[in-house]
Amino acid sequence: MASKRGVYEGEYLPFIVRFGKVTGWLAVLLSFGPAIVLAAVYGLIPPASAIFTAFIALASAVGVNWFVEPISYFPIIGVAGTYMAFISGNISNLRIPAAAIAQKMAGVEPGTPEGSIVATLGMAVSVLVNTLILVVGVLAGSTLLARLPANVVEAFDYLLPSLFGAIFVQFAMVKFKLAPIALGIALALTLAINGGVFDFLPGRPTYLITLCAVFGTIAIAAVMHKRESREGAKK
Amino acid sequence: MEYMQIANSAPMWIAAGVAIALVLYQAFVFARKSYATGKTIGLSDAQMRSAMKCSMITSIGPSLVILTGLLSLLVTVGGPMAWMRLSFIGSVMFELMAVGFGAEAVGVNLGIDPMTKIAFANAVWTMILGSLGWIIFATLTADKMDKAQARFLKGDKGLLTVIPVAAMLGSFGSLVSGHLVALNKNTVAAISGGLIMAIAVQLSEKKDLKWLKEWGLAIALFGGMIVAAVL
Repeated sequence: MASKRGVYEGEYLPFIVRFGKVTGWLAVLLSFGPAIVLAAVYGLIPPASAIFTAFIALASAVGVNWFVEPISYFPIIGVAGTYMAFISGNISNLRIPAAAIAQKMAGVEPGTPEGSIVATLGMAVSVLVNTLILVVGVLAGSTLLARLPANVVEAFDYLLPSLFGAIFVQFAMVKFKLAPIALGIALALTLAINGGVFDFLPGRPTYLITLCAVFGTIAIAAVMHKRESREGAKK
Repeated sequence: MEYMQIANSAPMWIAAGVAIALVLYQAFVFARKSYATGKTIGLSDAQMRSAMKCSMITSIGPSLVILTGLLSLLVTVGGPMAWMRLSFIGSVMFELMAVGFGAEAVGVNLGIDPMTKIAFANAVWTMILGSLGWIIFATLTADKMDKAQARFLKGDKGLLTVIPVAAMLGSFGSLVSGHLVALNKNTVAAISGGLIMAIAVQLSEKKDLKWLKEWGLAIALFGGMIVAAVL
């Protein structure tokens, strides 16, 4: 066991951190590619004031998530997963389900070296599948959408709620006692936000739901775990 | 030149392609390293291969949803931007919002006014700048969060495996709660997706059905979708 941790922490993680940082900063640079093309090739540069206005509007709508999401998802996806997920996007709807199902299939626990390695494999596969499907999609383009009957396109709206329900249940069956607590916190806050309790905060503060549900559940789970292991030690 | 011709021009495809190549390259390097390390610490080839196959099956459904989002983005910002933003960083909701704000800041109301070249350029800038926060914060903090978590755990190995499950339940609880209180077809989809998953997990464990373990999530999410669409 000690050598496993040794390989993971002494060799695997340093590699991931080094490479993750390089690719992260490269991603920042490359994301400007289209803006540079518009400026250099077509001479299209929006006025700075317009860029600033739009940025402020967007930042006040989503800015909190820049911090909340990496922190909330970290316990699930770990170091390698964080480097991958935040440059490839689509975290809750694709990366995490792919990572979670891989861990389950391999029979490894999240949070262990084996768990994070298998999760990384799962996420890498999802990047590949996602990119391939989108390449086909973007090449077939709008003709594809035009050919699909309207009710099929509409049905896809229900795929995400169904996915969220299924993933929640998958983990509820791992920790039976925790599931009602997590869902209870989330439902209570959703109703409170819908009821206007948090209207004094700017925008629609849905990040509060994620933040409180994730860390509330972790805190309660930690307390329950400590109590259980103390009782176990007494016996 | 119309803005859409610029949006779909070859230089734009190249800029998008380079960024997507980086994502693929990173995934490839991480996967190769993980596979090799997995073998060193005692994971079997069979274990890792079946895990990867399972992720592949599971990724198809959500990728199709992303594809429908891509098609809706394609109409306003053209192929390259839509393709890049959804393979690299973004999510549909965020991108559509960014395009809206970007165009509005130069006086173009999407859906009412025709998109201009400068509005398109500003939308591109807004999408880029708006998503930098995630990449920068994640890149700066990933290794530090690992240390913070280790300090919080204080070597308690049992707690280490409890926390990810608690975090999963918390984040997916909050993702599903909005759909549950909506009391519409989304509610039906969330509940039936969950029920089908519960049955699939029970069955696959009791009867030790390997195929059901692999396909369970895919069946549940399409099943939930179909129930909601048909009802």
